[in-house]
Order: sequence, then structure tokens, then C-alpha cells
Amino acid sequence: MNLFDIRNLSISLKSNDTDILAVDRVSLAMKEGEVRGLVGESGSGKSLLAQAIMGVLDPKWSVTADRFHWRGQDLMNLSPHERKAIIAKDVAMIFQEPMLSLDPTTTIGEQVEEAIDPASLEGNFWQRRKARKSEAIRLLHKVGIKHHEICTSSYPHELTEAICQRVMIAIALAKSPILLIADEPTAAMESRNQGQIFRLLASLNQLKSMSILLISHDLENVTHWTNTITVMYSGQFVEAGTTKQIFKSPLHPYTRALVDSSPAANIELPPKSRLKALPGSIPILQHLPIGCRLGPRCPKAQRKCVTAPKAKNYHGHVVSCHFNMKESGKV
Amino acid sequence: MSCLLRVTDLSKTYKLPGYWLNRKTFTALDPITFSVEANQTLAIVGEVGSGKSTLAKLLVGAEQPTTGTIELGNEILHDGDFSERCQKVRMIFQDSGTTLNPSLTIQQILDEPLKLNTQLNDIERIDLMRETLKKVGLLPEHLHFYPHMFSGGQKQRISLARAIILQPRVLILDEALAALDPSLRSQMLNLLLDLQQQMGLAFILISQNLGIVRHASDNLIVLKDGKVVEQGPTQQVFSNPKDKYTKILMMSQHLKLGHGI
Repeated sequence: MNLFDIRNLSISLKSNDTDILAVDRVSLAMKEGEVRGLVGESGSGKSLLAQAIMGVLDPKWSVTADRFHWRGQDLMNLSPHERKAIIAKDVAMIFQEPMLSLDPTTTIGEQVEEAIDPASLEGNFWQRRKARKSEAIRLLHKVGIKHHEICTSSYPHELTEAICQRVMIAIALAKSPILLIADEPTAAMESRNQGQIFRLLASLNQLKSMSILLISHDLENVTHWTNTITVMYSGQFVEAGTTKQIFKSPLHPYTRALVDSSPAANIELPPKSRLKALPGSIPILQHLPIGCRLGPRCPKAQRKCVTAPKAKNYHGHVVSCHFNMKESGKV
Repeated sequence: MSCLLRVTDLSKTYKLPGYWLNRKTFTALDPITFSVEANQTLAIVGEVGSGKSTLAKLLVGAEQPTTGTIELGNEILHDGDFSERCQKVRMIFQDSGTTLNPSLTIQQILDEPLKLNTQLNDIERIDLMRETLKKVGLLPEHLHFYPHMFSGGQKQRISLARAIILQPRVLILDEALAALDPSLRSQMLNLLLDLQQQMGLAFILISQNLGIVRHASDNLIVLKDGKVVEQGPTQQVFSNPKDKYTKILMMSQHLKLGHGI
């Protein structure tokens, strides 16, 4: 069964005279126990999409969708209050910069204890207090922090980035969520710490069958940890499929360029040779091209591209391009 | 081929506060010896606290070395003598957004090194600036823009223009590609490799991304806690890493990406 199923979700920003469509009809569906990567460069609207799922977007953004199902339940028909209750129970999110996301004025111990649901504790107030303490320590142990005494009594600035990220994960796990949205969990972290965090997430996925939506700007980083990948560009859906499909036989010119431009993925390329790169840069929100937004940078762009392409499904490999590799018979 | 930059036994120790009987010191960089030739790239790999940024600071002269000498061409670079050094050794930083002065136009930003280091007159300076902007893939009209009008990738190109405008011999890239998006990163890498061919630059590439290091560098130094762990031609180190630490670094980045899936 699908964990959640979103069809044609659009997020727009009301400006003085016109609406700016930051996310343009993106579809995203996840199965239970799946690790899905959501890849896109900065300004592709991937963080907005995650915040729209969580329902924590600023009211200035307006969100519309054709379908927004959570475990078979239609969330669009519910009031914001009911929707929040469902999402808050089952979905947790961890943010990009753990040190900035934690409260700098309270100790780690208090912050973890605060996240524990009071309804899960029993007994009198002293028993509950004790249970809450031991639960917080159990959570810290679970994410691989061994010396909980030092950690609970310190403030976020006294710990390293990787430990802070672990604390964030511990807080997210307090309600044992079904879905964890990880918004660039390893940005600005060293490669060895990155590996630790990803391994922790992967083990949680295996042991507790927690689904993970892994958001990243770099295709290289996530390929090892995901089952399926969705690629976005400038607020539009580009391509979705299994990690192998995306990496071995990308259908969209943009995904093709992303894979080709990664030096780590092209081992056979001679050193110091030119990498393939798309010309130009990502359009800013005020000057979005019409139709397919990759148009001005796309090597295959033709006149037809001024209308936005419809997503086509090739055995679960969904691509949104008029002239994809399947059409032109290259794969 | 004679080597362009030769570094002999360069080291840096910081004094920690303490009384005169128990003076403590902290060694940021143990003695290191290497040389770079023109048209070559030396990559320096290591984690935070491995001394790679200290090495970069020593090379540009922002810090004074405790021991050792830096030779450029055949001349020894002395501490505090910047007349030669800041023309020949230039540096690009990681975060291009904060290294450009937001209250100056691109023309003023690029003019500064020229005014301080050359005897060119106004017209010659403007011509040189236009030419340099074209070289890094921007337009001459961009001279009148302010840094906030550019995207991240373009800002990094402006820092590159500022670095190459004095026709340097050595360019130090301190994580210069880390903050860029993948498609812009490969554009920038292509541009850097082109400029290296045209101008005969020597690069010192400080990076954590081993994929880029493997692609762009000729020689490699792996640093750990200020000590050289491994040193040699990049191809050789990557195909046959000798040290455990190098292997750990390579494994943590899944350098055989695409083979495992």
C-alpha cells in the first residue's frame, strides 16, 4: 500500500501582481518501508515540497493538489487542525543545519525529554519524571551516543555537528514516526560523519521499517542509500524510478547531465578531460521560462518544449520530457 | 621541467597560553616537503583539523611559518614581503558570497588588486578587467553590477577573475568547488582546467570531494592531524592506497560509485 500519494501538487507565492509558481504540479508517491531520494539543485523546490507535506509552510504560500492521500486517507478534505494531528503523529522531519535548529539556550537532555509524548508515560509525577529521563537516554543510545551523561548536560554549541544531527534524529524518533523526512541531513558535514549518519538512517529503515524521504542536492551522495529516486529541476518534476534506472539509464536530458557531470561516477573518463556540463545556470523565481523549465539549458530543446510535457510512465520509470531517450530510441 | 613552487620542511606550531616553565605548543602542521610544476595540480586531502587550511595560509603568507622555506621559481619568498607574493600566488575561498564586498561594484572589486600591484593607467585597467571577465565566461557589462545581482556560480567566477587578473603562477583553491551545485561545479571545473592549459597555472586544490580530486589532480597529499599520511601521483594513490586512513577516506565516499549498485 502507498504510504502517501501526491498528485500534481503546486505551491505558489502571491506577489504584487502575479503568482509565482515555485513548485509546478509535482507528483510523489512512497511505499511503506521505502527509502526515496529527492534530488534537485538549489532552488528546485525540494525543501518547499517537504515543508508542504509536513504542513509547516508560511501562510503566504498557497498549496494546491489534485490528490493528497496519507495511508489511504484523503488529507485535502480535512481541516488544517485534523490534518496537523495526523501528520504530527506519523511524520517527523530533520533539518539541514542541526546546530541552528536546536534551541541554543536549553540543554540537549531537556530538548530530548520535551519531544517525548506525555501520554506514553504512566504513574505518578515522580514515576513519570523518571520514566521520561530513562526514555530520553534510551533514545540517545539508539542513535549511537554512548556517553549520554555528557551529552544530556551540554548545550548544542558544545557538541559537534554530527552529534547534533544524531540528537535531531533522536528527537525525531521520540514519537516512532512512520515516515522520516531528512532535509539534507549531512550538508556541511565531513564524509566520514556523513557515512555514519546515513548508516544510522539505513539501519533504522531496516529494523523499524521506517520510510525515509532523503532530500539532497547531490545525486552522488544518495545513490548508495536509496531504493528509488525522484529528480526535480526548478520546481518541476523531471524523472522518477529505481536508483538503478536513474543511474544506469537516465531518460531525461537533465538527469543524464547530472550523472555525466559527476567525476566520481565516470571512473573511465581520463583525468583532466572536460566533463559534460549543461550551459547556463538555474533560473531565478522571478524569471522562470514557460513550458519545460530546463528549455534554455537543454541540448535537445525544440519548439514543442514551450508547452510543459506530461509525465510518461515506462514500467515504473516515470519521465517528463517530450524528447526523452526512450522516444529517440537511444536506450 | 623546472618546478615552479618548491616547499621545503614547512611547518607551523602555535604557542598555547601557559607559564614560562610549562609552555605548551600545538603543532598544526608537521614539516612537509613538496613541489609543484607549472600546468600541474597538487591536491591536498584531509579532514577538518588536518592542517590543510594552515598550509594554504602559509603559502599565501597570511601566517608565518615556524620552519621551512617556500621557493617560487628560484627565489625564496620571505615573510612579510608581499610585493612579489600577492601577484604570483592567489587564492579562491569556499564561500564566494561572503568574500566579495557587497557595497562595491565588480569594477571596484577587480580594480583593487590592479591599483595596488600594477602601474597601469585607467584605460588599460578597464581593458584588462573586461578581458578577464570574458575569460571566466562573464560579460564586460557585468563590471557595473553589484555582487548580489549574481548567482552563486557567477560569484565564484568573479572570485576567479579577481584571482587571475594579476597573471599569477600559482592558484590555491580552498574548497572552492564545495558549495556549488553539481551542474555548476562541473562547469567551473572545466573552466579551471581550461585556464590551467592557457595560462600555465599551477593549482593547489584543497578538497574533500575525492571524485573531483581524482579527476583534476596530478599529485596528491593526504594529511591527517598535521602529518603527511600519503604522498604521490594521484593515479597511483587511488589505484593502490598504501595507508589505512586513505582507504577509509576512499571507502567513506564510495569512490567505486556505480559499481556497487
